[in-house]
Amino acid sequence: MARSLWTGSLSFGLVNVPVALFSAVRDQDLHFHQLHEKDGARIETRRFCAEEDKEVPLDAIGHAYDLDDGKTVVVTDEDLEAVAPRKTRTIDIEAFVDADEIDPIAFDHPYFLAPTGDAEGPRRAYQLLVEVMEQTGRLAIGRFVMRAKEYLVAIEVRDERLALTTMRFADEVRSADGIDTGGKKPAKAQLDQAVALVEALAADWDPSAWKDCYRKRLEDVIARKRKGRKISAPEPAREPAPVPDLMAALERSLAEATKGASGSGRRSAGDDLADLSREELYERAQQADVPGRSSMSKDELVDALGSG
Amino acid sequence: MPRSLWNGTISVGLINVPVKLYTATESKTVHFREVHLEDEGKIEHRRFCSKEDKEVPYEDVVRGFEIGKDKYVVLSKDEVAAAAGDPAHVIDLEQFVPADDIDPVFYAKTYYAGAGDKGGDAYRLLHDALERTGRAGLGRFTFHDREYLAAIRPRDSLLLLHTMRFADEVVPGKQVEYDAPGRKPDKREVEMAAKLVDSLHERWKPGKWKDEYRASVLDMIERKAAGKQPRKPREQPPEETPDLMAALEASLK
Repeated sequence: MARSLWTGSLSFGLVNVPVALFSAVRDQDLHFHQLHEKDGARIETRRFCAEEDKEVPLDAIGHAYDLDDGKTVVVTDEDLEAVAPRKTRTIDIEAFVDADEIDPIAFDHPYFLAPTGDAEGPRRAYQLLVEVMEQTGRLAIGRFVMRAKEYLVAIEVRDERLALTTMRFADEVRSADGIDTGGKKPAKAQLDQAVALVEALAADWDPSAWKDCYRKRLEDVIARKRKGRKISAPEPAREPAPVPDLMAALERSLAEATKGASGSGRRSAGDDLADLSREELYERAQQADVPGRSSMSKDELVDALGSG
Repeated sequence: MPRSLWNGTISVGLINVPVKLYTATESKTVHFREVHLEDEGKIEHRRFCSKEDKEVPYEDVVRGFEIGKDKYVVLSKDEVAAAAGDPAHVIDLEQFVPADDIDPVFYAKTYYAGAGDKGGDAYRLLHDALERTGRAGLGRFTFHDREYLAAIRPRDSLLLLHTMRFADEVVPGKQVEYDAPGRKPDKREVEMAAKLVDSLHERWKPGKWKDEYRASVLDMIERKAAGKQPRKPREQPPEETPDLMAALEASLK
Protein backbone atom coordinates (compact mmCIF):
# COMPACT_ATOMS: atom_id res chain seq x y z
CA MET A 1 0.00 0.00 0.00
CA ALA A 2 1.22 3.47 -0.86
CA ARG A 3 2.51 5.84 1.79
CA SER A 4 0.01 8.24 3.26
CA LEU A 5 0.40 11.88 2.25
CA TRP A 6 -1.20 13.33 5.35
CA THR A 7 -2.56 12.10 8.64
CA GLY A 8 -4.99 13.84 10.94
CA SER A 9 -8.57 13.55 11.92
CA LEU A 10 -11.84 13.82 10.12
CA SER A 11 -14.29 15.67 12.24
CA PHE A 12 -18.04 16.04 11.90
CA GLY A 13 -20.05 17.34 14.75
CA LEU A 14 -18.11 16.24 17.81
CA VAL A 15 -16.98 12.99 16.26
CA ASN A 16 -13.32 12.75 15.33
CA VAL A 17 -11.97 9.91 13.23
CA PRO A 18 -8.19 9.57 12.88
CA VAL A 19 -7.53 9.16 9.17
CA ALA A 20 -4.70 8.89 6.67
CA LEU A 21 -4.85 10.38 3.17
CA PHE A 22 -3.75 8.46 0.06
CA SER A 23 -3.69 9.60 -3.52
CA ALA A 24 -6.40 7.99 -5.63
CA VAL A 25 -4.39 8.44 -8.82
CA ARG A 26 -0.89 7.40 -9.71
CA ASP A 27 1.51 8.85 -12.20
CA GLN A 28 2.31 6.38 -14.96
CA ASP A 29 4.13 8.85 -17.18
CA LEU A 30 7.61 8.15 -18.42
CA HIS A 31 9.95 10.76 -17.07
CA PHE A 32 13.09 12.11 -18.66
CA HIS A 33 16.11 13.91 -17.36
CA GLN A 34 17.59 16.86 -19.17
CA LEU A 35 21.02 16.04 -20.54
CA HIS A 36 23.69 18.03 -22.32
CA GLU A 37 23.71 16.76 -25.91
CA LYS A 38 27.48 17.09 -26.28
CA ASP A 39 28.63 14.95 -23.35
CA GLY A 40 25.47 13.32 -22.03
CA ALA A 41 25.98 14.91 -18.62
CA ARG A 42 23.01 15.86 -16.45
CA ILE A 43 21.74 19.42 -16.69
CA GLU A 44 21.56 21.28 -13.40
CA THR A 45 19.43 24.31 -12.75
CA ARG A 46 21.23 27.14 -11.02
CA ARG A 47 19.69 30.28 -9.70
CA PHE A 48 21.21 33.56 -10.77
CA CYS A 49 20.52 37.11 -9.72
CA ALA A 50 19.71 38.94 -12.93
CA GLU A 51 20.96 42.24 -11.48
CA GLU A 52 24.42 41.03 -10.57
CA ASP A 53 24.67 38.08 -12.98
CA LYS A 54 25.88 35.98 -10.04
CA GLU A 55 24.78 32.62 -8.70
CA VAL A 56 22.67 32.93 -5.56
CA PRO A 57 22.34 30.31 -2.80
CA LEU A 58 18.80 29.22 -1.87
CA ASP A 59 18.86 30.90 1.54
CA ALA A 60 19.46 34.27 -0.10
CA ILE A 61 16.25 33.98 -2.12
CA GLY A 62 12.93 35.45 -1.02
CA HIS A 63 9.38 35.49 -2.34
CA ALA A 64 8.23 38.61 -4.10
CA TYR A 65 4.71 39.69 -4.88
CA ASP A 66 3.98 42.46 -7.35
CA LEU A 67 1.10 44.67 -6.33
CA ASP A 68 -1.20 46.21 -8.91
CA ASP A 69 0.37 49.63 -8.38
CA GLY A 70 3.76 48.30 -9.51
CA LYS A 71 5.13 48.10 -5.99
CA THR A 72 6.90 44.87 -4.98
CA VAL A 73 6.52 43.31 -1.54
CA VAL A 74 9.16 40.81 -0.43
CA VAL A 75 7.71 38.13 1.81
CA THR A 76 9.77 35.92 4.11
CA ASP A 77 9.11 32.38 5.33
CA GLU A 78 8.17 33.86 8.73
CA ASP A 79 5.56 36.09 7.11
CA LEU A 80 4.00 33.06 5.44
CA GLU A 81 4.16 31.06 8.63
CA ALA A 82 2.26 33.78 10.44
CA VAL A 83 -0.71 33.39 8.10
CA ALA A 84 -0.42 29.62 7.84
CA PRO A 85 -3.80 28.07 8.59
CA ARG A 86 -4.39 27.20 12.23
CA LYS A 87 -5.93 23.77 12.14
CA THR A 88 -3.47 21.68 10.20
CA ARG A 89 -4.52 18.27 11.49
CA THR A 90 -8.25 18.29 10.97
CA ILE A 91 -10.60 17.85 8.07
CA ASP A 92 -13.66 19.76 9.19
CA ILE A 93 -16.91 18.68 7.64
CA GLU A 94 -19.02 21.81 7.53
CA ALA A 95 -21.96 20.73 5.40
CA PHE A 96 -23.60 17.90 3.50
CA VAL A 97 -24.94 18.57 0.04
CA ASP A 98 -26.69 16.48 -2.61
CA ALA A 99 -23.98 14.83 -4.68
CA ASP A 100 -25.61 15.62 -8.02
CA GLU A 101 -25.60 19.36 -7.35
CA ILE A 102 -21.84 19.54 -7.74
CA ASP A 103 -20.41 20.11 -11.18
CA PRO A 104 -17.35 17.86 -11.60
CA ILE A 105 -15.62 20.80 -13.29
CA ALA A 106 -14.79 21.92 -9.75
CA PHE A 107 -13.02 18.68 -8.83
CA ASP A 108 -9.27 18.82 -8.70
CA HIS A 109 -7.20 16.00 -7.18
CA PRO A 110 -8.75 12.76 -5.90
CA TYR A 111 -7.67 10.97 -2.71
CA PHE A 112 -8.85 8.23 -0.39
CA LEU A 113 -9.23 8.50 3.37
CA ALA A 114 -8.61 5.42 5.50
CA PRO A 115 -9.17 5.19 9.25
CA THR A 116 -6.05 4.73 11.37
CA GLY A 117 -5.39 3.68 14.94
CA ASP A 118 -6.70 0.79 16.97
CA ALA A 119 -9.60 2.47 18.70
CA GLU A 120 -12.89 0.79 17.93
CA GLY A 121 -15.10 3.89 18.17
CA PRO A 122 -13.43 5.96 15.45
CA ARG A 123 -13.28 3.01 13.07
CA ARG A 124 -16.98 2.44 13.58
CA ALA A 125 -17.59 6.14 13.03
CA TYR A 126 -15.78 5.86 9.67
CA GLN A 127 -17.99 2.92 8.73
CA LEU A 128 -21.00 4.88 9.87
CA LEU A 129 -20.15 7.80 7.59
CA VAL A 130 -19.66 5.45 4.65
CA GLU A 131 -23.05 3.85 5.24
CA VAL A 132 -24.97 7.03 5.86
CA MET A 133 -23.50 8.90 2.90
CA GLU A 134 -24.13 6.00 0.59
CA GLN A 135 -27.73 5.72 1.78
CA THR A 136 -28.47 9.42 1.44
CA GLY A 137 -26.57 10.17 -1.78
CA ARG A 138 -24.96 13.07 -0.01
CA LEU A 139 -21.51 14.40 -0.15
CA ALA A 140 -19.64 16.12 2.66
CA ILE A 141 -18.03 19.52 2.14
CA GLY A 142 -15.17 20.53 4.36
CA ARG A 143 -11.82 22.19 4.59
CA PHE A 144 -8.40 20.97 5.47
CA VAL A 145 -4.80 22.06 5.36
CA MET A 146 -2.02 20.24 3.59
CA ARG A 147 1.47 21.61 3.00
CA ALA A 148 0.50 24.98 4.46
CA LYS A 149 -2.35 25.49 2.00
CA GLU A 150 -6.02 25.29 2.82
CA TYR A 151 -8.24 23.22 0.53
CA LEU A 152 -11.95 23.01 0.02
CA VAL A 153 -12.82 19.34 -0.28
CA ALA A 154 -15.71 17.08 -1.17
CA ILE A 155 -15.92 13.71 0.56
CA GLU A 156 -17.99 10.96 -0.97
CA VAL A 157 -18.09 7.17 -0.98
CA ARG A 158 -16.17 5.28 -3.66
CA ASP A 159 -15.37 1.56 -3.51
CA GLU A 160 -16.73 1.47 0.07
CA ARG A 161 -14.18 4.01 1.20
CA LEU A 162 -14.36 7.69 1.89
CA ALA A 163 -12.95 9.45 -1.15
CA LEU A 164 -11.78 13.01 -0.73
CA THR A 165 -11.42 15.33 -3.71
CA THR A 166 -9.86 18.77 -3.50
CA MET A 167 -12.03 21.38 -5.16
CA ARG A 168 -11.57 24.60 -7.00
CA PHE A 169 -13.14 27.65 -5.46
CA ALA A 170 -15.99 29.26 -7.40
CA ASP A 171 -13.77 32.04 -8.72
CA GLU A 172 -11.30 29.47 -10.07
CA VAL A 173 -13.87 28.14 -12.51
CA ARG A 174 -13.86 30.50 -15.45
CA SER A 175 -16.96 32.01 -16.91
CA ALA A 176 -17.97 30.60 -20.27
CA ASP A 177 -19.39 33.96 -21.33
CA GLY A 178 -18.38 35.00 -24.81
CA ILE A 179 -17.61 31.48 -26.00
CA ASP A 180 -19.40 30.67 -29.25
CA THR A 181 -22.18 28.12 -28.75
CA GLY A 182 -22.72 27.47 -32.45
CA GLY A 183 -25.47 28.08 -34.96
CA LYS A 184 -29.19 27.54 -35.14
CA LYS A 185 -31.18 24.80 -33.48
CA PRO A 186 -31.21 21.72 -35.68
CA ALA A 187 -34.38 20.67 -37.46
CA LYS A 188 -36.13 17.67 -35.95
CA ALA A 189 -35.25 15.29 -38.81
CA GLN A 190 -31.61 16.28 -38.55
CA LEU A 191 -31.50 15.85 -34.78
CA ASP A 192 -33.18 12.44 -35.09
CA GLN A 193 -30.49 11.37 -37.54
CA ALA A 194 -27.73 12.67 -35.27
CA VAL A 195 -29.24 10.87 -32.27
CA ALA A 196 -29.41 7.68 -34.35
CA LEU A 197 -25.73 8.12 -35.24
CA VAL A 198 -24.80 8.57 -31.56
CA GLU A 199 -26.84 5.49 -30.64
CA ALA A 200 -25.23 3.47 -33.43
CA LEU A 201 -21.85 4.20 -31.83
CA ALA A 202 -23.15 3.67 -28.28
CA ALA A 203 -21.12 1.57 -25.85
CA ASP A 204 -20.82 0.98 -22.12
CA TRP A 205 -18.19 2.97 -20.26
CA ASP A 206 -15.34 0.55 -19.78
CA PRO A 207 -12.22 2.38 -18.58
CA SER A 208 -9.97 -0.65 -19.04
CA ALA A 209 -10.81 -0.73 -22.76
CA TRP A 210 -8.84 2.48 -23.25
CA LYS A 211 -5.07 2.17 -23.17
CA ASP A 212 -2.59 4.99 -23.09
CA CYS A 213 -1.22 4.70 -26.64
CA TYR A 214 1.04 7.68 -26.10
CA ARG A 215 2.87 5.95 -23.26
CA LYS A 216 3.13 2.81 -25.39
CA ARG A 217 4.57 4.69 -28.36
CA LEU A 218 7.04 6.50 -26.15
CA GLU A 219 8.19 3.18 -24.69
CA ASP A 220 8.57 1.92 -28.22
CA VAL A 221 10.58 4.97 -29.28
CA ILE A 222 12.89 4.44 -26.30
CA ALA A 223 13.29 0.73 -27.10
CA ARG A 224 14.06 1.47 -30.75
CA LYS A 225 16.55 4.14 -29.86
CA ARG A 226 18.23 1.79 -27.40
CA LYS A 227 18.76 -0.65 -30.25
CA GLY A 228 20.26 2.15 -32.31
CA ARG A 229 17.40 2.46 -34.79
CA LYS A 230 16.36 5.66 -36.42
CA ILE A 231 13.26 7.48 -35.28
CA SER A 232 11.44 9.72 -37.68
CA ALA A 233 8.60 12.06 -36.93
CA PRO A 234 5.18 11.24 -38.36
CA GLU A 235 4.16 13.26 -41.39
CA PRO A 236 1.74 16.12 -40.84
CA ALA A 237 -1.83 15.06 -41.48
CA ARG A 238 -4.53 16.78 -43.46
CA GLU A 239 -6.99 18.87 -41.49
CA PRO A 240 -10.65 18.12 -42.18
CA ALA A 241 -13.05 20.82 -43.32
CA PRO A 242 -16.66 21.26 -42.28
CA VAL A 243 -19.07 19.37 -44.54
CA PRO A 244 -21.32 21.49 -46.74
CA ASP A 245 -24.38 19.22 -46.53
CA LEU A 246 -24.95 18.09 -42.94
CA MET A 247 -27.96 15.90 -43.68
CA ALA A 248 -26.22 13.95 -46.45
CA ALA A 249 -23.14 13.46 -44.25
CA LEU A 250 -25.34 12.26 -41.39
CA GLU A 251 -27.04 9.70 -43.57
CA ARG A 252 -23.78 8.37 -44.91
CA SER A 253 -22.22 8.30 -41.41
CA LEU A 254 -25.19 6.43 -40.07
CA ALA A 255 -25.00 3.87 -42.88
CA GLU A 256 -21.29 3.37 -42.14
CA ALA A 257 -21.81 3.12 -38.38
CA THR A 258 -24.64 0.59 -38.60
CA LYS A 259 -22.68 -1.45 -41.12
CA GLY A 260 -19.76 -1.51 -38.67
CA ALA A 261 -21.91 -2.46 -35.70
CA SER A 262 -23.79 -5.31 -37.35
CA GLY A 263 -22.52 -8.42 -39.14
CA SER A 264 -19.06 -9.78 -38.54
CA GLY A 265 -17.72 -6.31 -37.79
CA ARG A 266 -14.94 -4.52 -39.57
CA ARG A 267 -12.50 -5.18 -36.76
CA SER A 268 -12.19 -8.89 -37.48
CA ALA A 269 -9.46 -10.48 -39.54
CA GLY A 270 -9.57 -10.52 -43.29
CA ASP A 271 -11.18 -7.14 -43.69
CA ASP A 272 -9.91 -4.14 -45.53
CA LEU A 273 -6.91 -2.78 -43.66
CA ALA A 274 -7.47 0.68 -45.08
CA ASP A 275 -10.69 0.90 -43.07
CA LEU A 276 -8.88 0.59 -39.75
CA SER A 277 -7.67 3.53 -37.70
CA ARG A 278 -3.95 4.07 -37.29
CA GLU A 279 -4.28 2.88 -33.74
CA GLU A 280 -5.90 -0.40 -34.72
CA LEU A 281 -3.29 -0.88 -37.42
CA TYR A 282 -0.58 -0.11 -34.91
CA GLU A 283 -1.92 -2.69 -32.50
CA ARG A 284 -1.85 -5.29 -35.26
CA ALA A 285 1.63 -4.19 -36.22
CA GLN A 286 2.66 -4.78 -32.62
CA GLN A 287 1.21 -8.27 -32.67
CA ALA A 288 2.98 -8.96 -35.96
CA ASP A 289 6.13 -7.25 -34.62
CA VAL A 290 6.46 -5.07 -37.72
CA PRO A 291 9.83 -3.32 -37.49
CA GLY A 292 9.74 0.47 -37.51
CA ARG A 293 6.02 0.55 -36.75
CA SER A 294 6.08 3.41 -34.27
CA SER A 295 7.16 5.93 -36.86
CA MET A 296 4.98 4.63 -39.68
CA SER A 297 2.10 6.59 -41.09
CA LYS A 298 -1.28 4.95 -41.51
CA ASP A 299 -0.59 4.13 -45.18
CA GLU A 300 2.82 2.66 -44.37
CA LEU A 301 1.22 0.46 -41.71
CA VAL A 302 -1.37 -0.75 -44.21
CA ASP A 303 1.41 -1.60 -46.65
CA ALA A 304 3.55 -3.33 -44.03
CA LEU A 305 0.67 -5.38 -42.68
CA GLY A 306 -0.73 -6.17 -46.12
CA SER A 307 2.57 -7.54 -47.39
CA GLY A 308 3.17 -9.67 -44.30
CA MET B 1 -13.67 37.19 -25.47
CA PRO B 2 -11.24 34.62 -24.05
CA ARG B 3 -8.34 33.35 -26.15
CA SER B 4 -8.54 29.76 -27.37
CA LEU B 5 -5.74 27.26 -26.63
CA TRP B 6 -6.37 24.88 -29.49
CA ASN B 7 -8.42 25.00 -32.65
CA GLY B 8 -9.46 21.77 -34.26
CA THR B 9 -12.28 19.50 -35.29
CA ILE B 10 -14.45 16.99 -33.49
CA SER B 11 -15.40 14.33 -35.98
CA VAL B 12 -18.20 11.82 -35.72
CA GLY B 13 -18.49 9.60 -38.75
CA LEU B 14 -18.35 12.02 -41.66
CA ILE B 15 -19.54 14.98 -39.62
CA ASN B 16 -16.84 17.52 -38.83
CA VAL B 17 -17.46 19.97 -36.04
CA PRO B 18 -14.92 22.81 -35.80
CA VAL B 19 -14.19 23.67 -32.16
CA LYS B 20 -11.97 25.93 -30.10
CA LEU B 21 -10.73 24.92 -26.66
CA TYR B 22 -10.54 27.29 -23.72
CA THR B 23 -9.32 26.63 -20.17
CA ALA B 24 -12.25 26.14 -17.85
CA THR B 25 -10.34 26.52 -14.60
CA GLU B 26 -7.49 28.62 -13.32
CA SER B 27 -5.66 28.49 -10.02
CA LYS B 28 -5.93 31.66 -7.94
CA THR B 29 -3.39 30.50 -5.41
CA VAL B 30 -1.06 33.39 -4.55
CA HIS B 31 2.17 32.80 -6.41
CA PHE B 32 5.41 34.51 -5.64
CA ARG B 33 8.36 35.07 -7.84
CA GLU B 34 11.85 34.44 -6.58
CA VAL B 35 14.01 37.43 -5.78
CA HIS B 36 17.50 37.92 -4.45
CA LEU B 37 16.87 39.23 -0.93
CA GLU B 38 19.94 41.46 -0.97
CA ASP B 39 19.03 43.62 -3.96
CA GLU B 40 15.53 42.37 -4.93
CA GLY B 41 17.05 41.31 -8.25
CA LYS B 42 15.06 38.88 -10.35
CA ILE B 43 16.14 35.23 -10.05
CA GLU B 44 16.76 33.40 -13.30
CA HIS B 45 17.01 29.65 -13.63
CA ARG B 46 19.92 28.77 -15.89
CA ARG B 47 20.85 25.39 -17.28
CA PHE B 48 24.33 24.18 -16.53
CA CYS B 49 26.20 21.11 -17.66
CA SER B 50 27.15 19.28 -14.48
CA LYS B 51 30.35 17.99 -16.08
CA GLU B 52 31.68 21.12 -17.74
CA ASP B 53 30.29 23.61 -15.22
CA LYS B 54 29.17 25.76 -18.16
CA GLU B 55 25.83 27.23 -19.12
CA VAL B 56 24.02 25.23 -21.83
CA PRO B 57 21.64 26.81 -24.36
CA TYR B 58 18.23 25.14 -24.63
CA GLU B 59 18.98 23.87 -28.17
CA ASP B 60 21.75 21.71 -26.73
CA VAL B 61 19.51 20.03 -24.17
CA VAL B 62 18.27 16.50 -24.94
CA ARG B 63 16.02 14.09 -23.04
CA GLY B 64 17.55 11.17 -21.17
CA PHE B 65 15.51 8.14 -20.11
CA GLU B 66 17.29 6.52 -17.17
CA ILE B 67 17.92 2.79 -17.62
CA GLY B 68 20.54 2.39 -14.91
CA LYS B 69 22.80 4.44 -12.72
CA ASP B 70 24.15 7.23 -14.95
CA LYS B 71 22.94 5.28 -17.98
CA TYR B 72 20.48 6.93 -20.29
CA VAL B 73 18.73 6.35 -23.58
CA VAL B 74 19.12 9.75 -25.19
CA LEU B 75 16.31 11.20 -27.27
CA SER B 76 16.18 14.50 -29.10
CA LYS B 77 13.10 16.66 -28.62
CA ASP B 78 11.94 15.61 -32.11
CA GLU B 79 12.28 11.95 -31.25
CA VAL B 80 10.15 12.43 -28.14
CA ALA B 81 7.64 14.33 -30.26
CA ALA B 82 7.51 11.39 -32.71
CA ALA B 83 5.50 9.51 -30.08
CA ALA B 84 3.00 12.35 -29.77
CA GLY B 85 0.30 10.75 -31.89
CA ASP B 86 -1.67 11.85 -34.90
CA PRO B 87 -0.62 15.46 -35.48
CA ALA B 88 -3.93 16.38 -37.11
CA HIS B 89 -6.08 18.69 -35.01
CA VAL B 90 -8.88 16.16 -34.84
CA ILE B 91 -10.81 14.54 -32.02
CA ASP B 92 -12.30 11.47 -33.63
CA LEU B 93 -15.18 10.34 -31.43
CA GLU B 94 -15.21 6.55 -31.50
CA GLN B 95 -17.83 5.73 -28.89
CA PHE B 96 -20.68 7.30 -27.01
CA VAL B 97 -21.15 6.18 -23.42
CA PRO B 98 -23.73 7.17 -20.78
CA ALA B 99 -22.24 10.38 -19.39
CA ASP B 100 -23.38 9.66 -15.84
CA ASP B 101 -21.53 6.33 -15.82
CA ILE B 102 -18.14 8.05 -15.96
CA ASP B 103 -16.84 8.55 -12.43
CA PRO B 104 -15.42 12.10 -12.31
CA VAL B 105 -12.24 10.57 -10.86
CA PHE B 106 -11.38 9.86 -14.51
CA TYR B 107 -11.55 13.54 -15.45
CA ALA B 108 -8.06 15.01 -15.39
CA LYS B 109 -8.50 18.51 -16.79
CA THR B 110 -11.53 20.30 -18.16
CA TYR B 111 -11.78 22.67 -21.10
CA TYR B 112 -14.66 24.53 -22.66
CA ALA B 113 -15.04 23.43 -26.27
CA GLY B 114 -16.72 26.33 -28.07
CA ALA B 115 -17.87 26.37 -31.67
CA GLY B 116 -15.23 27.12 -34.28
CA ASP B 117 -15.47 29.78 -36.93
CA LYS B 118 -17.34 27.62 -39.43
CA GLY B 119 -19.79 24.78 -38.99
CA GLY B 120 -21.76 26.27 -36.11
CA ASP B 121 -24.82 24.26 -37.12
CA ALA B 122 -22.91 20.98 -36.84
CA TYR B 123 -21.76 22.09 -33.37
CA ARG B 124 -25.34 22.71 -32.27
CA LEU B 125 -26.39 19.38 -33.73
CA LEU B 126 -23.71 17.42 -31.85
CA HIS B 127 -24.50 19.30 -28.65
CA ASP B 128 -28.23 18.66 -28.90
CA ALA B 129 -27.77 15.00 -29.84
CA LEU B 130 -25.50 14.43 -26.82
CA GLU B 131 -27.91 16.27 -24.58
CA ARG B 132 -30.84 14.22 -25.78
CA THR B 133 -29.08 10.88 -25.46
CA GLY B 134 -27.34 11.71 -22.19
CA ARG B 135 -24.15 10.40 -23.69
CA ALA B 136 -20.55 11.58 -23.77
CA GLY B 137 -18.34 11.05 -26.82
CA LEU B 138 -14.95 9.43 -26.34
CA GLY B 139 -12.00 9.89 -28.65
CA ARG B 140 -8.31 10.57 -28.81
CA PHE B 141 -6.52 13.71 -29.80
CA THR B 142 -3.05 15.20 -29.70
CA PHE B 143 -2.54 18.30 -27.64
CA HIS B 144 0.82 19.87 -26.82
CA ASP B 145 2.79 16.95 -28.27
CA ARG B 146 0.96 14.23 -26.45
CA GLU B 147 -2.06 12.13 -27.12
CA TYR B 148 -4.99 12.23 -24.74
CA LEU B 149 -8.23 10.40 -24.37
CA ALA B 150 -10.99 12.99 -24.25
CA ALA B 151 -14.62 12.90 -23.20
CA ILE B 152 -16.95 15.42 -24.83
CA ARG B 153 -20.19 16.18 -23.03
CA PRO B 154 -22.72 19.00 -23.00
CA ARG B 155 -23.00 21.46 -20.15
CA ASP B 156 -25.64 24.16 -20.55
CA SER B 157 -25.35 25.34 -24.13
CA LEU B 158 -21.64 24.51 -24.46
CA LEU B 159 -19.64 21.35 -24.94
CA LEU B 160 -17.02 20.43 -22.35
CA LEU B 161 -13.88 18.48 -23.06
CA HIS B 162 -12.37 16.46 -20.22
CA THR B 163 -8.94 14.94 -20.71
CA MET B 164 -9.23 11.48 -19.20
CA ARG B 165 -7.12 9.42 -16.86
CA PHE B 166 -6.47 5.87 -17.96
CA ALA B 167 -7.69 2.93 -15.87
CA ASP B 168 -4.20 2.11 -14.57
CA GLU B 169 -3.79 5.68 -13.34
CA VAL B 170 -6.78 5.39 -11.02
CA VAL B 171 -6.18 3.60 -7.73
CA PRO B 172 -8.91 1.07 -6.91
CA GLY B 173 -10.36 1.49 -3.44
CA LYS B 174 -9.51 -2.05 -2.42
CA GLN B 175 -5.83 -1.10 -2.50
CA VAL B 176 -6.51 1.23 0.39
CA GLU B 177 -6.56 -1.24 3.22
CA TYR B 178 -7.89 -0.66 6.68
CA ASP B 179 -9.17 -2.67 9.61
CA ALA B 180 -12.93 -2.85 9.74
CA PRO B 181 -14.49 -2.18 13.14
CA GLY B 182 -15.09 -5.14 15.46
CA ARG B 183 -18.81 -4.71 15.15
CA LYS B 184 -20.80 -2.87 12.54
CA PRO B 185 -22.55 0.36 13.48
CA ASP B 186 -25.90 -0.49 15.02
CA LYS B 187 -29.27 0.83 13.94
CA ARG B 188 -29.38 3.56 16.58
CA GLU B 189 -25.95 4.86 15.54
CA VAL B 190 -26.91 4.90 11.85
CA GLU B 191 -30.08 6.83 12.69
CA MET B 192 -28.19 9.33 14.83
CA ALA B 193 -25.57 9.82 12.13
CA ALA B 194 -28.27 10.27 9.47
CA LYS B 195 -29.85 12.94 11.69
CA LEU B 196 -26.51 14.65 12.03
CA VAL B 197 -26.02 14.59 8.25
CA ASP B 198 -29.51 16.02 7.85
CA SER B 199 -28.87 18.78 10.33
CA LEU B 200 -25.85 19.89 8.30
CA HIS B 201 -27.61 19.50 4.94
CA GLU B 202 -27.75 22.51 2.66
CA ARG B 203 -27.93 23.42 -0.99
CA TRP B 204 -24.62 23.53 -2.80
CA LYS B 205 -23.72 27.16 -3.41
CA PRO B 206 -20.14 27.23 -4.70
CA GLY B 207 -19.82 31.00 -4.21
CA LYS B 208 -20.36 30.61 -0.46
CA TRP B 209 -17.05 28.83 -0.06
CA LYS B 210 -14.21 31.34 -0.15
CA ASP B 211 -10.52 30.68 -0.18
CA GLU B 212 -9.76 32.06 3.27
CA TYR B 213 -6.11 31.14 3.08
CA ARG B 214 -5.67 33.09 -0.14
CA ALA B 215 -7.44 36.05 1.48
CA SER B 216 -5.16 35.97 4.52
CA VAL B 217 -2.00 35.74 2.39
CA LEU B 218 -3.15 38.72 0.32
CA ASP B 219 -4.04 40.55 3.54
CA MET B 220 -0.59 39.84 4.96
CA ILE B 221 1.01 41.17 1.77
CA GLU B 222 -1.04 44.36 1.99
CA ARG B 223 -0.22 44.83 5.68
CA LYS B 224 3.41 44.34 4.90
CA ALA B 225 3.25 46.83 2.03
CA ALA B 226 1.76 49.32 4.50
CA GLY B 227 4.54 48.60 7.01
CA LYS B 228 2.38 46.71 9.56
CA GLN B 229 3.29 43.42 11.21
CA PRO B 230 0.97 40.39 11.24
CA ARG B 231 0.09 38.41 14.36
CA LYS B 232 0.94 34.81 15.02
CA PRO B 233 -1.95 32.39 15.61
CA ARG B 234 -1.82 29.06 17.46
CA GLU B 235 -2.84 25.55 16.57
CA GLN B 236 -5.60 23.76 18.46
CA PRO B 237 -5.56 19.97 18.30
CA PRO B 238 -8.96 18.30 18.11
CA GLU B 239 -10.16 16.06 20.91
CA GLU B 240 -10.69 12.39 20.32
CA THR B 241 -14.04 11.00 21.28
CA PRO B 242 -14.01 7.32 22.19
CA ASP B 243 -17.71 7.17 23.01
CA LEU B 244 -19.28 7.39 19.57
CA MET B 245 -22.90 7.54 20.70
CA ALA B 246 -22.24 10.29 23.23
CA ALA B 247 -20.42 12.31 20.60
CA LEU B 248 -23.24 11.90 18.11
CA GLU B 249 -25.80 12.91 20.68
CA ALA B 250 -23.76 15.87 21.83
CA SER B 251 -23.36 16.97 18.19
CA LEU B 252 -27.09 17.14 17.72
CA LYS B 253 -27.77 19.25 20.81
